[in-house]
Amino acid sequence: MKVVDGKTLSEIAFELIRRSCIGIAPDAMELLKNAYERERNVAAKSMLKTMIRNAELATVENKPVCQSPGYPVVYVMLGGDMKLKVGVQNAFQKALIKATKVGYLRPSMVHPLTRKNPGDNSGIGVPDVEIEYVPEKDYAEFIISFKGCGAELANVLKILTPEQVGKNGGGIKRLVLESVVNAGGIPCPPVAIGIGIGGQMHYAAKLSRKAISVRKWTDSNPNQELATLETELLKSINSLGIGPAGIGGDITALAVKVECVATHTAICPVAINFHCWTARRSGARLYSDKSVEYLF
Amino acid sequence: MVLGLGGKSLETYLTTPIKSEDIAGLRVGDVVYLSGRVYTARDMAHIRIGEYLREGKQLVEDFKGAAIFHAGPVVRKRNEEWEIIVIGPTTSMRMEPFSEILLGKLGVKAIIGKGGMGESTQKALKKYCGVYLLSPPGCAVIQAKSIQRVLTVHWLDLGVPESIWVLEVNDWGPLVVAMDSHGGSLFKEVKENALKRINRITGKEEAIL
Repeated sequence: MKVVDGKTLSEIAFELIRRSCIGIAPDAMELLKNAYERERNVAAKSMLKTMIRNAELATVENKPVCQSPGYPVVYVMLGGDMKLKVGVQNAFQKALIKATKVGYLRPSMVHPLTRKNPGDNSGIGVPDVEIEYVPEKDYAEFIISFKGCGAELANVLKILTPEQVGKNGGGIKRLVLESVVNAGGIPCPPVAIGIGIGGQMHYAAKLSRKAISVRKWTDSNPNQELATLETELLKSINSLGIGPAGIGGDITALAVKVECVATHTAICPVAINFHCWTARRSGARLYSDKSVEYLF
Repeated sequence: MVLGLGGKSLETYLTTPIKSEDIAGLRVGDVVYLSGRVYTARDMAHIRIGEYLREGKQLVEDFKGAAIFHAGPVVRKRNEEWEIIVIGPTTSMRMEPFSEILLGKLGVKAIIGKGGMGESTQKALKKYCGVYLLSPPGCAVIQAKSIQRVLTVHWLDLGVPESIWVLEVNDWGPLVVAMDSHGGSLFKEVKENALKRINRITGKEEAIL
């Protein structure tokens, strides 16, 4: 059994936060540059150019790409041989406080009812942590994803009836397209959209967030049926004409990621989770020999 | 860099305090560069402005002819001076309930943010001759370069993002006129067209949402 001590985890946590804030993930940058090539609307093209330049400048100048750090979620994959000596939430919260003091993060965490801001991104339950135990792996993997909250305002969660699901999931496609139109420029398009289907409300919601936080936006779904659905939805969304920043244009979404689990015969929960273009995420693997590999 | 629609748009340089005649000529798609004073205000500052007005209390600034920026910066204090590290727009729609107060009662002339605003703002912009300007979302490093300095900060008890930061800006832009004083809205047009397309794609008209 290899023990991950507090000091090692603190160092990884801070470095992951720093890397996340000062740019966007390479896969998102690739899609953004591709979007710039394809966009035909002059104003939209110019908007995309500004976005690309801003993300590049953030990395060069070691500054946050966006003033809003969004909300952090940490995904942990724990290999069979690895043991954590300290709590992941505690280690990452301390790293968030440190990163706030240095100026990588704006203090944005508040009490949901009193709206009181402690001023350092500390707070009950911050960050959200999901831990998965994977016995066959020989490492511990940590991915942090900061998702902006304008995008969060556009999210939709609906429990459909079998009749509403329709033939070949036609009802789900309609729900996604309506959500995109209602969202307009609010979620900072070009967006990535995570869609969780099945389970109950909480399960679909968790899957929808994970889909756009852990998967690379350039990947293909290993499930052929879902891969086809992702491609179809992306094409349909990009025919709506909402465009970058919602001002009209060809590129409304960079990626659509669908995750699906079985559900009860009476229902079909669908969670639609919007991610702004600023894909602030990074990941690291800590191996049993204590070496650390930063993934992106 | 010109951020116009099809290259036909006009570029206008505005300085605060802004007058109605500065706004009247602006049309959706035009590009604006702004100089002078800009006040940041998000949800909590708007709520407090509303409370102060209801209670007849004196506000911290005179907002006549003002430009309000829906934003909360990342800041650092050095030798007692505030420094903006980065700043960019937040979702304007959350401030929709306050447009009548800001434009009508306080005389605000320009609202700057991202994502667009709704019907009540559209009406208020027309009634009081105001403009809604779009600032590129997520582009906080670039926009901070137009900020000359922090003049002062009010209501810091609301927390750094929610305070009113009074900023001096110079040729800040390009900002796109997304809603004008003639009832024009870029977002409304885009939405109406998109809804028609959904019906074509799905072969249905009834909404599921």
